Amino acid sequence: MLTMLEEVVLLAVDENTGGLRSTREFGTAYALVGAVLFDLALAGKIDTDTETIQIIDRAPTGNATLDGILAEMARRLDLNTVQDWIEHIYRRQADLEGEALAALIQQGILRHEQSKRLWVVDVERFPMTSNRHQQHVKVRLAEAIRTDSIPDTRDIMLVSIAEPCGLLGYVMDEAELARRRDRIQMLCNLETISRKVTRAIARLDRTLRLQAAPKII
Amino acid sequence: MIQVTQETRSGWYVVAVRGRADAEAADELEGALRAAVEAHPKVAADFAALDYISSAGLRAVLQAARAAQTAKAEFAVCSPSARVKKVFDMSGLHHVLQIYGELPC
Repeated sequence: MLTMLEEVVLLAVDENTGGLRSTREFGTAYALVGAVLFDLALAGKIDTDTETIQIIDRAPTGNATLDGILAEMARRLDLNTVQDWIEHIYRRQADLEGEALAALIQQGILRHEQSKRLWVVDVERFPMTSNRHQQHVKVRLAEAIRTDSIPDTRDIMLVSIAEPCGLLGYVMDEAELARRRDRIQMLCNLETISRKVTRAIARLDRTLRLQAAPKII
Repeated sequence: MIQVTQETRSGWYVVAVRGRADAEAADELEGALRAAVEAHPKVAADFAALDYISSAGLRAVLQAARAAQTAKAEFAVCSPSARVKKVFDMSGLHHVLQIYGELPC
């Protein structure tokens, strides 16, 4: 079974070109952080309440990315809120994406191709060996959104991190997403980690807008 | 750690939960509620003596509610303490579950 982190990264791969797509680059970085925290929660290593995060079990999971984060959480006792950890892990966003891509390549789900654009710029692509795995993720997401029944825990988590970084647009068309907006919001709200990820993205958007705004002297 | 007691009252199978529904207790909570909804048509989870619920505890309740949907059983969460109700409110759980201030029986 793929980790939540691998599923989010796989969802961001363009099935036609193998390029990594992102409608909101910074949002995606926060989604990766959310995915790692969900993976640790699903592995029974951490638990959260409305604000804080607790380490339940320090024993390694066997996944190098998760174990690196878990070991760091065990060391940094000064950071104990969900928000603290989202901001802290956010700094490792490039590692998270790279490690998830490497794991997907190792599992034979993606291939790695490197080429030059205009003979100079390196372009990396990750074509899928088969779209079966990505399709499986998309079907689960679509089902969780389209139906009114309670989804499986993993699917609630997946919707709630795919939404804030704009990845749901690759699963369903905009009109259908608009019709199911209330359902999506409801699913996103169920998990503390998702609520904090959404808040972090909103805060970052605000900061970037302020930085981009013309200064009046 | 939780303590679970169960009894039938006026057609409802009442699962009363006492203690802290955290990661340590989540499997036990989900197991008790799941077994109840799979065996009884009307199940009330009495949370009056539940002091605390974490995300893992919340997921356990949600997955029990999911099992109730599959089993076509009626499932209600009742009498949550103020602290637990606050968590339910923040999560918007009332959109997914029937939450009653008192036991329906």
